[in-house]
Amino acid sequence: MFIDVSNLKKSYTTGVIKTDVLKGIEMKLGKGEIGVILGPSGSGKSTLMNIIGGVDRGDSGKVIVDGIEVNKLNNDELTEYRREDIGFVFQFYNLVPNLTVGENIEVVSNISKSPLKIDEVLEAVEMLDKKHRFPRELSGGEQQRVSIARAIVKNPKLLLCDEPTGALDYQTSRSILKLLRQVNKKYGTTILMITHNGAIAAMANKVFRLRSGEVVDEVVNQVIVPAERIEW
Amino acid sequence: MVLNRRVLRILKENKLRYLGIFMLIILGSYTFIVAAGLSQNLANLVTTFTEEHMQEDLSFSTDRVISDRAELEKEFDVIIEEYMSFDAELSDTLTLRLLSETEKLNIPAVIEGRGLSGSGEILLDPAFAKANGYSVGSQIEMADKTFTVVGFVSLPHYIYPLKNVNDILYSPNDFGVAVINREEFSDIDNVASIYSVRFNDRTQSLNRQAVQFRERLRVEGITVSDWIDIMNNKRARVVWASIIGMKTMSVPLPAAMFLLSCLIIGIMFWRMIRQESVIVGTLYAQGYRRRELTRHYMAIPLLLAFAGGMIGSLLALPSIEPMVMAMISYYNVPVPGIKLSFLNVLIGILTPTIFLGLSSYLVIRSELKRSPAELMKGDKQKTKVNALERAFKLERFKFSTKFKLREQFRSISRLVFLFLGVTSASVLMLFGFTILNSMNHVFNTSDVYQFEYEYAFRDLQFGEAPEGAEAFNAGKFYPENNEGIEFYITGIKSDSRIVTLKDSKGNPIPNNQTNITKALANRLGIKAGDTVTFINKEDGKPYTFHIDAIADSYVEQFIYVPITEFNKKLGLPENSYMGVFSTIKLDIPSEKLSGIKSMSEMPNAMDEFFGQMISMVALMTIVSSIVALIILYLVTSLIIEENRNTISLFKVFGYRRREIKSMILNSSTFVIVAGFILSIPIMAASMGAIYGYLGNMINLVLPTIISPLYVVVCFVVIMLTYQLSKLLCAKRVNEVSMSEALKVGTE
Repeated sequence: MFIDVSNLKKSYTTGVIKTDVLKGIEMKLGKGEIGVILGPSGSGKSTLMNIIGGVDRGDSGKVIVDGIEVNKLNNDELTEYRREDIGFVFQFYNLVPNLTVGENIEVVSNISKSPLKIDEVLEAVEMLDKKHRFPRELSGGEQQRVSIARAIVKNPKLLLCDEPTGALDYQTSRSILKLLRQVNKKYGTTILMITHNGAIAAMANKVFRLRSGEVVDEVVNQVIVPAERIEW
Repeated sequence: MVLNRRVLRILKENKLRYLGIFMLIILGSYTFIVAAGLSQNLANLVTTFTEEHMQEDLSFSTDRVISDRAELEKEFDVIIEEYMSFDAELSDTLTLRLLSETEKLNIPAVIEGRGLSGSGEILLDPAFAKANGYSVGSQIEMADKTFTVVGFVSLPHYIYPLKNVNDILYSPNDFGVAVINREEFSDIDNVASIYSVRFNDRTQSLNRQAVQFRERLRVEGITVSDWIDIMNNKRARVVWASIIGMKTMSVPLPAAMFLLSCLIIGIMFWRMIRQESVIVGTLYAQGYRRRELTRHYMAIPLLLAFAGGMIGSLLALPSIEPMVMAMISYYNVPVPGIKLSFLNVLIGILTPTIFLGLSSYLVIRSELKRSPAELMKGDKQKTKVNALERAFKLERFKFSTKFKLREQFRSISRLVFLFLGVTSASVLMLFGFTILNSMNHVFNTSDVYQFEYEYAFRDLQFGEAPEGAEAFNAGKFYPENNEGIEFYITGIKSDSRIVTLKDSKGNPIPNNQTNITKALANRLGIKAGDTVTFINKEDGKPYTFHIDAIADSYVEQFIYVPITEFNKKLGLPENSYMGVFSTIKLDIPSEKLSGIKSMSEMPNAMDEFFGQMISMVALMTIVSSIVALIILYLVTSLIIEENRNTISLFKVFGYRRREIKSMILNSSTFVIVAGFILSIPIMAASMGAIYGYLGNMINLVLPTIISPLYVVVCFVVIMLTYQLSKLLCAKRVNEVSMSEALKVGTE
């Protein structure tokens, strides 16, 4: 399995109150697959994704990504893991405002060992013509495209998308989902996506439903619906 | 690194903010290097001059010629040289003191023209020459002779050419010194002969050597008068007041301002980096290493600090020479050259670089200790309620007050930054005004003396004083175990109308008791009712006095006792006196006099002095206003930056622009008022310490007087600066769009 999470636990303590966010998560996803994590707010989706992506740590349990036991990596090793293997797409894009579209992608390609060509990824996300614009000159959907381009330019093994359509309208969301599918096909990138939107589950190979820090349901889709045909 | 392309763009996007920081660094390093250079050069020039030209350690007159001078020189390992002095009256108000050329001590330094080579030649004090229109080649007629000016001269014992050693201010329009050949004095009447002494052993206490030397003269039966140690000679010491004053006020003050600027900018960068935590987190999540991010976030502070330090230093270096020349023009010291210290330049560049580099390093490292996930959530302290906020129980206030207070309390570092900035700018501004005020109080409100002329006789006089005059007697004393402080105890008439002392409330103090001036009382730590013992410099014997009252006078450092008591205590004849105070000019043969002091010389000297003071105060006010403006602008723009979302939300809710501006921009008002109020005691305390130090150095005690008028003026200037900073920032509030609140957010 490309992603193998077992008995993953995580809790946060605020003052005297301890909150168990993840209560023994089990999850498996194959290489090149698209996985969707569904769940209401506070179910632990983002925490699970952050731990898989190496931006946070679990308290116990195992998280293995492409044979790397993520939970055992020290801070420097985690940085290297994120640097080479993981691409992130955020709900609010998190682009660097003072850098142009091209430079925002260059920020990541610069630190990768074998990055894709910047123009190639911009072409893939249909943003080549806006390469020299600043984020503030783009619409939300365009910013998310840049964010995806930034994530895939390093040719990551795993693309983690946290509510990639959460801030977008219906049409734009569909185009973004289509784009993610294309990336998955073109580069063979494994994608793990968080969403509130149940309809998006139709485009995934596997769907994980989280509730109160536990995987309450795991569905393998026999029929995968193309992104452009998804409706909600 | 592509990330570094942001650096110039960030600077461009926040031009005014970074320009402010840049200016603060430039100002800090500039003032530090100039002040340090100024005091080092002044000290160097004066020390070099006094050492190379053999400044005397003491001088005195005698009742007869010292015949065994060579023997004394050998015995005490001293150099003794006698010189002549004669006060030539060029007009009713203009006196030129002619001194004979010396070879061993107080060697004249010709600073323009040439030295004396024959008779009829004269070297002039340059300030006197300038004030009275003499140049090299001019001719002066005096003492029935004609002299040709062949050059200008500096004298180690007349660096500040005061007519009388107890004067405070000098006016070249009334008095000057000149050097002529010794032979010229042979046909001038009533020439004074003065001995200069310098000890060769500089390792031993000069004071102790002086006491032994004086004792030896006494044993020989030589009566000395006008004994002046160099440490009590204002002509030589006043210049040190400027140097020490420079060192005391200028070096620590700009250094403190410099460090404060660095601290303020450090806090500023801290806030800015924290504000960028989402981007830091994103880059960190994308795989950027700590050191790469650290390097990137240190680029702007390091760039600004280095460039600012460099520009400040480069601007400062050429300013040192004209400033030294301007400062030294008040004194008569040759200036062979100005030395520029590259160590200071290095400090000026490295201090902001190290300080800002270190502070931004610590901030970014502490930020990077948080996980990328945490960083991406934004500023973790945003929602925290700190102790200060809790302590104030804000619930009881109305919304807008609560909002403003909360805005300040939420960020302690920003609060500290604003508070320190306003306090230091106010202290700097009040500093100048207080010095002006103290000087003004000392010189303009001093109405102790009601006489126009003071005549000092060579020998003790007996009987009644001439018509219109009052007799006085005086002796020089020092406290037991502290020969460094010298002062006069003066015997005056019990019913004197010429010396009118008042207490601190303005009530007259009778002259039939022992009174001490406030200046001397402060210096010696004496209170009314104390019984004190002082040593008479003439006979070395102790005398005890009971102090009845303290007179509110700062110009003079005197103890006044009734003349009958004075004479009795010192064993002098009952009706004897050494001088008279007179309201009119008296016709006393000049051979009987050792000196005349005219009060009419004071106004000229004061005008010159206050002219300089006012320029200094104006400069300090301008500099502190600029500092205050920069700090207030930085804080206000930071508040707007950190509240973009709130401002946007207020706009969405329907708040009017005026209401938003009032809540956001006016939130600092109470901090500014509090900072200003605190600056008053801080300034008073530091001023007291500085004046105390200066008092010991130059026999001048100044009171710390803070005029309510000047406090109001300073407050108005600070508040106007605040208004200006708000005006500059108002545009930024208007620029925040409503869509920001709707677009920007975190989960």
